[in-house]
Amino acid sequence: MAATVDFACNSTRPGSIARFFSRSGYWPLGQFLAASKCSRFVCSAILPLAAYGLACGPSSRPPALSSPAGVARPGGELVASIRTEPRSFNRLAARDSSTDLVATLTQARLVRINKQTQDVEPWLAERWTPSEEGRRVTLSLRRDVTFSDGHPFTADDVLFTFEALYDPRNAGPLADTLQVGGKKLEVAASDAHTIAITFPAPFAPGVRLLDNLPILPRHKLEPAQKNGTFASAWGLSTPPADIVGLGPFVLSEYVPGQRLVFSRNPRYWRTGADGTRLPFLDRLVVEIIPDQNAELLRLTAGQLDVTNGEIAPESYATVKHAADEGRVRIIDLGVSSDADSFWFNLKPGAFAADPRAPWIQRDELRRAISLAVDRQAFADTVFLGAGEPVYGPETPANKAWYWAGTPRVPHDPGAAKAMLEAIGLRDRNGDGTLDDPTGRLVRFAIVTQKGRPRLERGAAVIRDDLKAIGVTVDVVALDGPALVERIGNGKYDAMYFRASATDTDPALTPDFWFSSGSAHLWNIGEAKPATEWEARIDALMARQSASLDAAERKRLFDDVQRIFSEHVPVLYFAAPRVVVATSARVLNATPGLVTLTPLLWAPDTLAVVH
Amino acid sequence: MTRYVARRLLFAIALVFLVSSASLVLARLAEGDYVSASLGIEARRETKEELRVRYGLDKSIGAQYRDWLVNAARLDFGTSLLYDRPVRELVPQRAANTAVLAVTGLLLATVVGLPLGVVAGSRRAGFVSSAIRSLSILCLSLPPLLTSLVLVFVAARTGWLPIGGIRSAAVAPGGETADLLRHLVVPACALALPLAAVFERLQAQAMGEALDAPFVIAAFARGVPRDRIVWRDGLKASLRPVAALYGLAIGTLLSGSFAVEVTTSWPGLGSLMLAALRARDVYLVAGCAGAGAAFLACGTLVSDLALALVDPRARE
Repeated sequence: MAATVDFACNSTRPGSIARFFSRSGYWPLGQFLAASKCSRFVCSAILPLAAYGLACGPSSRPPALSSPAGVARPGGELVASIRTEPRSFNRLAARDSSTDLVATLTQARLVRINKQTQDVEPWLAERWTPSEEGRRVTLSLRRDVTFSDGHPFTADDVLFTFEALYDPRNAGPLADTLQVGGKKLEVAASDAHTIAITFPAPFAPGVRLLDNLPILPRHKLEPAQKNGTFASAWGLSTPPADIVGLGPFVLSEYVPGQRLVFSRNPRYWRTGADGTRLPFLDRLVVEIIPDQNAELLRLTAGQLDVTNGEIAPESYATVKHAADEGRVRIIDLGVSSDADSFWFNLKPGAFAADPRAPWIQRDELRRAISLAVDRQAFADTVFLGAGEPVYGPETPANKAWYWAGTPRVPHDPGAAKAMLEAIGLRDRNGDGTLDDPTGRLVRFAIVTQKGRPRLERGAAVIRDDLKAIGVTVDVVALDGPALVERIGNGKYDAMYFRASATDTDPALTPDFWFSSGSAHLWNIGEAKPATEWEARIDALMARQSASLDAAERKRLFDDVQRIFSEHVPVLYFAAPRVVVATSARVLNATPGLVTLTPLLWAPDTLAVVH
Repeated sequence: MTRYVARRLLFAIALVFLVSSASLVLARLAEGDYVSASLGIEARRETKEELRVRYGLDKSIGAQYRDWLVNAARLDFGTSLLYDRPVRELVPQRAANTAVLAVTGLLLATVVGLPLGVVAGSRRAGFVSSAIRSLSILCLSLPPLLTSLVLVFVAARTGWLPIGGIRSAAVAPGGETADLLRHLVVPACALALPLAAVFERLQAQAMGEALDAPFVIAAFARGVPRDRIVWRDGLKASLRPVAALYGLAIGTLLSGSFAVEVTTSWPGLGSLMLAALRARDVYLVAGCAGAGAAFLACGTLVSDLALALVDPRARE
């Protein structure tokens, strides 16, 4: 399995770590005005102020609802937003978050992970039976389910989807994520409504892996698969009527650069608890709004119902005032399950010809940095108070897998200096900065992503805290693709950016934990573990992924986190609180934490007062 | 005149060719590529290499540029990596939206700026000319980006106008034009106000000079009505500086519209180019830059022709 990065629109891939370089609230303006600090200030200051002013002032909008409570009734229209256009209507051909949202609205999966509870729920598969050894699962598909064009859904469609997924001609972005240990799943159908999935090895998460794999219609896409054009099938010029699915909505209109309009799928198979046919909404309009501040203006002005993602700390005040007036509803989801990551390049030989080689990859340096950074001040500065200190790769938000024994490293610059002195780094000439044994300045560069104030603030705080113990740090901001290139070719000293898991189960993020993983940040894709402790983590993760005993899995993963905390290959300082907002007329909003579309992951039950 | 037009056309074609070529090469030279941008660090190396081969990103810059040139000669400007659609289809759609915005902005700036310039230039003292001058200086000091933010704020605050976009999701039959015009107000005003101020200042200056010309003084002496002198003789004599500025103004409008398009969610060339740059979509970057250069070249050409008509010396 691999994971994802997407600069344009926070893409997501199931079961993987997603390092997404989501834009800042002001990113487009910053792009245009990158050359001028003054202009950047203007952009950074004026638009939020404008939005703030709007939120504070009287409004000509319809009267606010005093409470979002109400009974959902069929009908109505909801307006949502995305940052960029989808790259395709075919989820197996593109991985960006806009394409993923289109798939969420128009397609359905075999199982669904409830983003609030993190439980696996029956979806197109109404039940499943795992084999005792954990390698095989038999799934019973729902009967009487039809695609939006009336064609019946059968196991044939599931087989076709897996065939297209794994076809190397398609080089599909999801193919890497639906593998176990680098090997594909085997899928067979015993009848029209029963399929058996065999994992290449015992796999504890089981069907959880299948969330987010949309089941596509064989009758529509088989010709493209046969003639080798599947990767370009269902492109953006496809007439909406040709996009057929099992999801709650059908695409009815796509206006390039402006919006996508979805209508209720009258053949959708799901009903509510009281027997009401779902979805509730008649129409769902997804506006393409490239800028978060413009999005918030529309929300507070009553022209938008749900935001694209979490609200940046600097925009919170805007929405809060509108919420106080009852025009907007704020939902605080608590501390994020992800914290921004800071790590050094630990690739063996990366500093072979560098005079800093004796100290820059040492555990003591990273531990000293952990002691030197004031995590509370970091949270207050970087997240404007809307964050909490964290100490390890899992935050308390990941209730199932967080290790309660994660050491709470204190802020102790004195201890940090002592630790550095123990490896020969001390102030030798009395200038207030540390020198190595040869008299060279202790200095390194942190690379972070350009145009994301949160990351730039974080890197600046680290720089300032390290300056206090005499370590000189240069902060270098690069744009997303350049950053990825640097990580891939290992040409950097240290990195700082956001790492975001798209699943809470560590067995579904092997690309991060295993030394051979493509998201093993500090040393990507090791042929064999470079250190003894990485070999131990590999062994523990292998056992953890295969074990069917939940308690044993937890214990094994606690051990992984213990080793991680001893060697700190990645440092974490603080995690933000996640806040989303809807208009006051939205009903049944069930925001989830571990998703990039926190308000739209369950679109069939969303409703509006109408 | 024919030779003059032909020479200007050749210059325009060369400009478009150079700008799009340079954009393609520079986008390719920048660190990172479309595969890095879309797949990120976590994708397997093999997957990345497969995609690079598929998109032709495994070729050298020279080979890629040569292929692009050969195809461009057949008016095939490549397929957008980002949208998997021919650049030839994508760019004109968005360019048309940008053109609508830019032309509206230019018309608005002309309609507002020129008459105010005539009024301010013909009345060198007094409240009216001072008020016009102050307003112009205010508008001049506000870049289109900031103006658009203020106007968006006003639109959101009052609810009089749409905050962004080009069309409403639901428009009554027959109401499309009115809907488009309503959406145009904020971005077009944002573009037009600073430009109108430039036109006003130039026109006022030129008008002031024109009114000092001997033929105008003679006209006054002959008792020709003041309004007739100002709006007929003075205006005609003072148009040259503004006409000369038109070509540059179109370039300014284009660059200004890129910023305004983003703040007002106007689906034009600017937002498309931004998306292309962020995704390292080299063909789309080249296409958008070429379209932008074409706009500029057309504007300059029209401006040069206008100038050549007003002042035959310009043809030299």
